[in-house]
Amino acid sequence: MKRRFVKAVLAASLAVAAMSGSREARAQEIQVTGPLKGAPAVRHMRLYRKGRFEFAPTASFTLLDEYRRTLLAGARLNYYLTDWLGIGVWGAGGVWSETTTLTNEVNQYAPRNVETVINVNHTGGCPGGNCSSPTPGASPSQIGSNASFADQTAKLSYVIAPQVTFIPFRGKLAIFNKIFVDTDLSLAAGLAVVGIQERQYCGGGGQLPCYDPASFATAGQTKITWTFGVDLTFWPSNLVSFGIEYRALPFYWNPAGFDTRGGGPNGNYPDNQVNSSDDTFKFNQLVTLAVGFSFPAPKINE
Amino acid sequence: MKQARRWLLLAAALVLLPQAAYAQKKKPKGTTPAPAAPVSADADADSTPAPAAATPPPAEGSADQATPPPAGGEAGAGVGGEATGGDTGGGMDICQITPDAPQCQAAKEFNLGAEAKKTIRAEVYAVQQQYVLKGGRFEIQPFFAFTLNDQFVSHDAPGLALNYYLTQVLAVGVVGNWYDGLNSPSDFNFQLRRAAHVAIPLNDYQLSGDVNFTYVPMYGKFAGFGDFIFNYDGYIDGGLGLIRTKPISVIDPDNRLFSWNNLINFDVGIGLRIFFNRWLAATLEIRDIMYFERIESTTVATGADVPVGAMGYGPSSPTNPATWYDTNTHFTNDVQMQVGLSVFLPTSFEYALPK
Repeated sequence: MKRRFVKAVLAASLAVAAMSGSREARAQEIQVTGPLKGAPAVRHMRLYRKGRFEFAPTASFTLLDEYRRTLLAGARLNYYLTDWLGIGVWGAGGVWSETTTLTNEVNQYAPRNVETVINVNHTGGCPGGNCSSPTPGASPSQIGSNASFADQTAKLSYVIAPQVTFIPFRGKLAIFNKIFVDTDLSLAAGLAVVGIQERQYCGGGGQLPCYDPASFATAGQTKITWTFGVDLTFWPSNLVSFGIEYRALPFYWNPAGFDTRGGGPNGNYPDNQVNSSDDTFKFNQLVTLAVGFSFPAPKINE
Repeated sequence: MKQARRWLLLAAALVLLPQAAYAQKKKPKGTTPAPAAPVSADADADSTPAPAAATPPPAEGSADQATPPPAGGEAGAGVGGEATGGDTGGGMDICQITPDAPQCQAAKEFNLGAEAKKTIRAEVYAVQQQYVLKGGRFEIQPFFAFTLNDQFVSHDAPGLALNYYLTQVLAVGVVGNWYDGLNSPSDFNFQLRRAAHVAIPLNDYQLSGDVNFTYVPMYGKFAGFGDFIFNYDGYIDGGLGLIRTKPISVIDPDNRLFSWNNLINFDVGIGLRIFFNRWLAATLEIRDIMYFERIESTTVATGADVPVGAMGYGPSSPTNPATWYDTNTHFTNDVQMQVGLSVFLPTSFEYALPK
């Protein structure tokens, strides 16, 4: 009797196990044979980037500049390993710059006297010939004022940025229900070698004293930093694309050429020298417009 | 022992039951049912071989003859024939029951076999059906705004926009920001004053509010990582309102204590809305609030600083508020980036037309 009971229980258990197993298998079967199983989110999509080279002339404008705006002309060359990943380089040179309203106001209103003699461009004539230890209240008339403050402000000279481009989003855009255009959103990141023209270092050993009018001239410097950009690209045809990119180029520099730090407690006070301690962190930003030419012809996915 | 065998037999039968149901998925070729008439002919013809052609016996004609024609006398119709042929597998043809059903009407109008042989040039819109219908719905849009263009004082602020969509593309609403307590003068001002002895007039904001119209000319969808699809739209907005500002006393803080000024402003913005579902979206907007700012005078009145007259100061006294402001107003752009959420109410809607 016991044996029968055991066998009956075993048989029932097997049946239940088999039934539950078949249910699971059935669920899996639906996953395996479902009509959309393995189907891509988008069919017959033009792969605008995969296996293609892109050459794109660019024009970049700096944003939120305190003292000087710069227009950079350049180009971007990319090769896309897949439709979502590419490698390349962007390079641009400053072709035009313009001072801001603040620069013009400093130029117009900043007094040229012993208190500003190491910070604001002038034409010389320090009182008593000794500007290294200025005396508050000394006559400002003894310092020439017809030198432009704009001449000491820094500007971007060039940028070279080897970068990786990541294209996570691809879609299409309808404008006024009439214009339809393929669009993608990409992120670019990499290193950047940035050339700048900045007020030369002064006041240190072997350097001009900072009160010397000649010390307000700018000199070239190179900054190594990182950069990233967010780009929206429109593809009206297989060959030509249009892009607009926001790019950040953060690094330390001294846009005004002021002596602001290096002395006193924690180095937070002027030290009558202009050097790297006067650099401040700026999250330099640019907007870039690009016209891209891509080749060879794009493939189409399944 | 015999009972155990019965149990085992029962178990085997139960195990086989679902598999038997399963097997119905793959029928022998000869009995493959033809698709019902209303199945979209263009899609099938475009992507797969015509089922009727792929099923040699029985021929259309024989199928028609082997089964009673659907009510309505459409015996000769190829589509009807295919449908009844399929139904010989055991099902009941819906056209026999309800000949007025739309798919039966559609079947009368064309021959599926002939249509399948045609080259299809289907007109496909870039976005077949807008993901979210906005007409007649309210939008609640809380956001936080970051200053983009003022390197002297940042005016970050929480804000709220309320819109009502008159149509799918046009809305009217209000938007407001609260800045007070979050204005943050930059260290850059101090450095400039110390180095060049030039003071830049600075202003605080308290609040702003505008009545806006919103227009949505763009919409689309993106495939993320080639795996998922999200919908978005782009909008522009603009309107008229009020902003309350006051100068921060920089030039003569000993004497000048400013109060809030009410100033008329115009605002324009451009935004992007990315939908998580049909009533919730993330928003990103760039908005420019334009107005004529009253700034602190960079010159200090030189009159006697003594209590004079009923007001307690003379006309050229530095304590006279009339001398505190610059005589000119200054056109000012407060450009801000708004990041927020968009909630549409009611949360559900119905399409007027099928997809």
